[in-house]
Amino acid sequence: MGSHIVVSLLCRGHRVLVLARERDNASASQRMDRLLNWFGLSQTQRRYMKVLQGDLNLPGLGLKAQDAGTVAADVDETVHCASDTSFSPRRREQVERTNVLGLENLLDVVRKSPCRAFHLISTAYVAGKQKGLCAEDFLQVLEFHNVYEESKYRAEKMATKHCADNKITLHVYRPSIVYGDSNTGRTTLFNALYYPIRTLHFFQKLYTRDILENEGKKAREMGVRLEKDGVLHLPVRIQSSDECGLNLIPVNYFVEAFMTLRRECPEGGVFHVVNPRSTTIRLLADYTRRFFQLEGVRVAEPEEFLKQPRNGLEILFDNHIRYYGPYMQDKRIFEHSRTRAILAGQNIVCPEFSYPVFAICMGYAVETDWGRLV
Amino acid sequence: MFSEQARKTAGQCRHYAMCKIDYLDTGICRSGEQNHYVSYFPQGRMDIYHALCRGLVPVTSPLVEIAESCDLCGICDKQCHFVTGMRPVEVMKALKTYVRQWLEQGNQPLQVKTDPGLEGLREVVGQKWATNDPAILLTYADDPFPLAGMRTPRYVALPRTREEVAALVCFANDRDLPYVVRGNGGSVFGFVFSHGLVMDMNRMKGIEIDPENWTARVEPGVTSFELQKEAFRHGLRANTAEPAATVCGNIVCTGLFSTWSNAYGVNADTFVDMEFIDSRGDFFRLIDPGAPNVFCFEHKLTPAPGICTLAHVRLHPTTEDEEGLMVPFDDFEEAVEFARELGKRRIGLAIGVLGGHYLSTFMSPSADLADKVRYGLSQALGIRYVVFMIGDGFARQAVRSMRESVIDSKLFKMLMLGLPRLADDEWLELVSGMDTDQPPYAILLRREMRSLLEAVLRPSPEAAAQAVDEDLRDFYIELYARPEMTDMVWLNMFRIISARMSRRKHMFAFLVYVPLDRVEVTKQICKELGRIADKHGIDHDYGFLTPLDMGKRGILEYDYYIDHQEPLEKEKIRQALKEFEPYLDNLSAGTKGVKWLKYIFSQGCARKEAFLYT
Repeated sequence: MGSHIVVSLLCRGHRVLVLARERDNASASQRMDRLLNWFGLSQTQRRYMKVLQGDLNLPGLGLKAQDAGTVAADVDETVHCASDTSFSPRRREQVERTNVLGLENLLDVVRKSPCRAFHLISTAYVAGKQKGLCAEDFLQVLEFHNVYEESKYRAEKMATKHCADNKITLHVYRPSIVYGDSNTGRTTLFNALYYPIRTLHFFQKLYTRDILENEGKKAREMGVRLEKDGVLHLPVRIQSSDECGLNLIPVNYFVEAFMTLRRECPEGGVFHVVNPRSTTIRLLADYTRRFFQLEGVRVAEPEEFLKQPRNGLEILFDNHIRYYGPYMQDKRIFEHSRTRAILAGQNIVCPEFSYPVFAICMGYAVETDWGRLV
Repeated sequence: MFSEQARKTAGQCRHYAMCKIDYLDTGICRSGEQNHYVSYFPQGRMDIYHALCRGLVPVTSPLVEIAESCDLCGICDKQCHFVTGMRPVEVMKALKTYVRQWLEQGNQPLQVKTDPGLEGLREVVGQKWATNDPAILLTYADDPFPLAGMRTPRYVALPRTREEVAALVCFANDRDLPYVVRGNGGSVFGFVFSHGLVMDMNRMKGIEIDPENWTARVEPGVTSFELQKEAFRHGLRANTAEPAATVCGNIVCTGLFSTWSNAYGVNADTFVDMEFIDSRGDFFRLIDPGAPNVFCFEHKLTPAPGICTLAHVRLHPTTEDEEGLMVPFDDFEEAVEFARELGKRRIGLAIGVLGGHYLSTFMSPSADLADKVRYGLSQALGIRYVVFMIGDGFARQAVRSMRESVIDSKLFKMLMLGLPRLADDEWLELVSGMDTDQPPYAILLRREMRSLLEAVLRPSPEAAAQAVDEDLRDFYIELYARPEMTDMVWLNMFRIISARMSRRKHMFAFLVYVPLDRVEVTKQICKELGRIADKHGIDHDYGFLTPLDMGKRGILEYDYYIDHQEPLEKEKIRQALKEFEPYLDNLSAGTKGVKWLKYIFSQGCARKEAFLYT
């Protein structure tokens, strides 16, 4: 999301300092250059960008003295997009390091700068285990589904206090689950919505090869078969019900919403950037079967798994979606009247997650081998 | 005239003597087998070529013979590649080419004159088995140990009998000629060099199994691999160390230890009796009432009791149902606790706590694959450590009741034969994407997942062979088709893959006896050795830990890795020595249960109780 926002700001002529890490033998500048090449941003558009090599996890963000001086002198607004989206308790330390301590390091640097507006990209799921309507406001939440929700909640609290203490306007953006661009399918991240579908696609390739090259011995063991029309029967049951579903928004909608809210609401506040309509797992399964030419992938009630335990495919698949369980069966309603009113005034509406949108996104995912060829 | 590539390869010979044992059933270098001097083995030719390139040795008649005696059969390529990834045949060819061209230019090889000393030695061992030829002497002058320089002997002699050894000792004493004994030269700690006489025991290869007593009598040239092979033929097992190391040399030098030491013990536990020749040339046996007491231990550097001419070692029974098991962990402390628990409860025979580095390196037939597998095991699957165990059906049942996730022998075979696909990026990304509260291995090792895993790995000798150079693939396919190559019991008995640890660089190993009930001591040692290595820019990693004496003690290996041909790397070790030596010295002197192996050197016959519980 950060790179999308950077590009959007640059395209509107803003001067942007980007904090990035060096990684995999590539400097921060090289990594940003690659990203901006992917966006097709011209060199002219890049001229207002400066990459600061550093690390959110280090005090002072690990900035060189000169870069720290630039930040201390030049920053008017700060947008904080960095986040660790792991849900697992065994990754608690890593998640807290990035989402809480990282923010603390950033706020400390911001405090010493002329920055007077802080934009925090949070999540709608700071609502934790609340039920029903979740206010578009700062919340008091006691229970969470996972460490990610908890850490983002703590981050909001910290940012609120820090900004109040330092007279900085705070904007908190709370998106739901973000996927690729609804018009092009383009994305640089293939997690969240993509992972479980990628798993099914992996199974499809694996067993098709087994059937075509190895007489399908392993496929038979799993009840997988290739039908005459080329459709692969892949028996994978997904535990869910029709009462609820995933709240999905495309990245282009989020960026547009962000830019508008930033511009239209100088007083700051909390903004739920969500989809008014959830997508049921049944519908997602239907889209997946249709796009990937599969059958056998279906939604099942929990009782069915008691009668027939999960097979190997289902175990692996289930472990990819287990922590999305609360989101797949989400009964929370995110109030978004304020945000909707501001965005509607600018004709900005969240696109429906229709089959054509799904197909565009999955087409891009397959074309880029789930990001490996990006 | 010299090939730069061949020179580089030659300089990288690790001197592990693996080309001197037939560990892949390929046979060994024929000229080495006939001539016994290390100079006639690929290892020796590597040294000779490297020395020629640096102008350290003249072309002598034996050097010409050594070069020509290589028939380029290619066995050394297979053997060396299996453990180090190197291809010595190019060096053998380069040596032959150089010598041939040198002769074609009308040069005459140097004929080294004999001298009275050499004549005396030849009277003892025979004309062929003593030499002062500089090309041969050179191959007995150095090893990759980074803290010692070259020491060229005046003579090398290869005795055949214990009487000849005794006569050589007397001969050397009469002439004030310093001497050392060389087993197979695989110790790589700079110990087997002398300015005087080197006695190479390669011709003393007698093994006599005593099935009634479950023992074996071995001469000093017998390697661990050779003894194990013979014991195995009789349905027995020896507690042996590195396959190319000689049994006698091992016992005298450091004492025998291995993962089997969990059940079979260390040092004095491993033998019934030993025969030595003392510094006067007199024989004594340890069971003689008047023999020197070598079962005791002194916390100081001590000379060896003499030259070992015979070891009467213990062998152990095996059962039909023995198999290996690996229990994965993502936490070191938990893994050590589990290994200790097995030791305390006397569950299993061989036990070791291996890190991801060892495991991936042992399993992978190439260094590149090992790197990928290591990432795959530790980062994607969450297998940072495994407790490795060999045990019978009862022991395995016990382990299974203690831990749900295990890698059994069938799965191990599947992993070995499907290793390149285990390291496949797409698969690893998929697995590492599982955001669960259990490590991914806990899910993948469930029984229901076996079929899916097999579909992913598509294990076969052909799949495993994809990891090696194309021209070696047929050989590897045949090799991996052999059951023992994927059998944890066989691989751990014969230890043919442990030398792979030095595939990237020469390994500088720290071995320390540790108190296993205080895991923090072990962690602190690893941390401090790691800190020192980092400070000096040395590659390093945890090696292994094996419980001893019912889990009360353990032996820890921690390794530094250096390019022994790189002066800068040698300097790094030299600087690091100033820190690790006093650290380990102090720890050995002041912490109960800690004893650096440096202090056990030459006291390998000591009772373990004499140094583990001081």
